[in-house]
Amino acid sequence: MGYNAAVIEGRCITKSYGGRLVLDCVSVRADRGELVAVVGPNGSGKTTLLRILAGLEEPDSGAVIRRGSITMVFQENLLLPWRSLRDNIMLGLRYSGLPKREALRRVEWAARLLGIEEHLDKKPGEVSGGTARKAAIARMLVLNPDILLLDEPLAGLDVSSRLSLLRTLNNLRSDGRSIIFVDHNIADVASVADRVYLLTPAPARVSAVVELAGLPREERLRKLVRALEG
Amino acid sequence: MTLLRTLAGFTLALTVAVFLGYVYTLSSTARDAIRALNTLVQSVSVLVWIIVFLMLFGVFSPLPPILVAAAVAFPILLSSIVAGLESTSRRLVELAVMLRAPRWRLYPDFLLPSLLPGLAGAARAALGAALRISVVAEAMGASGGIGYMIENYYSLAEPRGVFAWGLLLVALMVVLDQLILARLEGWVKEWATMQR
Repeated sequence: MGYNAAVIEGRCITKSYGGRLVLDCVSVRADRGELVAVVGPNGSGKTTLLRILAGLEEPDSGAVIRRGSITMVFQENLLLPWRSLRDNIMLGLRYSGLPKREALRRVEWAARLLGIEEHLDKKPGEVSGGTARKAAIARMLVLNPDILLLDEPLAGLDVSSRLSLLRTLNNLRSDGRSIIFVDHNIADVASVADRVYLLTPAPARVSAVVELAGLPREERLRKLVRALEG
Repeated sequence: MTLLRTLAGFTLALTVAVFLGYVYTLSSTARDAIRALNTLVQSVSVLVWIIVFLMLFGVFSPLPPILVAAAVAFPILLSSIVAGLESTSRRLVELAVMLRAPRWRLYPDFLLPSLLPGLAGAARAALGAALRISVVAEAMGASGGIGYMIENYYSLAEPRGVFAWGLLLVALMVVLDQLILARLEGWVKEWATMQR
């Protein structure tokens, strides 16, 4: 896909907190239907980068160009404990003015996609961490965003939940959505990402951009590891 | 009568405090004004409230004990709401932004329910304090209630009556606290505590 097709693009984003440089001219982009990963050590500013892309924070310099609606799934699930998973997922739709029947239909769709339909009537405290994580993703997915940002969506999940969520991310990309996610696990990232941005320790710069789209499974991981080592 | 007056005052204080919590989220000027108001209300002696309300409404009015109960409960409730709002996770506000919630829905849908565990504890303390103090207001000027009866028996030099009504007040507070408020607090904490 060409450069001009970027649905979201961060150009030379720089950000400091209290004189400490966190992001040093970081550029990332995702085209339509692309699944892009950002990988870097702890404290390298990955979350800050996502927050700036989402519009929750302003960069000190640089620009963010969004060509579509955007939403972000936070590292914490932030499910409201006094609401069922169904009500949590439907929360954003209540503000959109969507008729209730259509809103419920969309909640069912997202729940089926993420495999949590049998938990919809439970409260967040009654489900596993993996189910809660999927509900947090479903809550943003029902808003039908063009761009979905996910901050460590796989953190703390067991193997089967990770695999199931990776499959879901893969499906979402097929729907034409652009996804940028942050993760630490190289094997997980290599298995789904079309492109990976490797960040240096803070102040973060992009040390490598690894294109993985179209590569066979085993080659993807090899290429990513080579880029990390080199 | 005492309990009803206290509950009326407490309800009034809770309503105003919850509304001011909403105002608190609107701007930094509103935040400064509410902090100043809270400090001011906390600084006024209960004795001053009692005398002012008695002078304003008279000794036969039911309003002074109600308003004194409200004045005692209000700063406890407002302090809890303000402290809760100041320590609320910024992520909760950002979640509302990402869900495209209108600004005016932030407080009722996201912030207020998350404040309830802290507010339930504060409400328990506020209601207890209001009950103790409204008795004093009744003693100084009212035509009924536990405080009035204690004052009445004191004037008649009847210590048994004073003790009996005093014990009734203690029993009322224990029943209210242990059978209702403690359970309510436990239930609210379980209902609204955020999972990570």
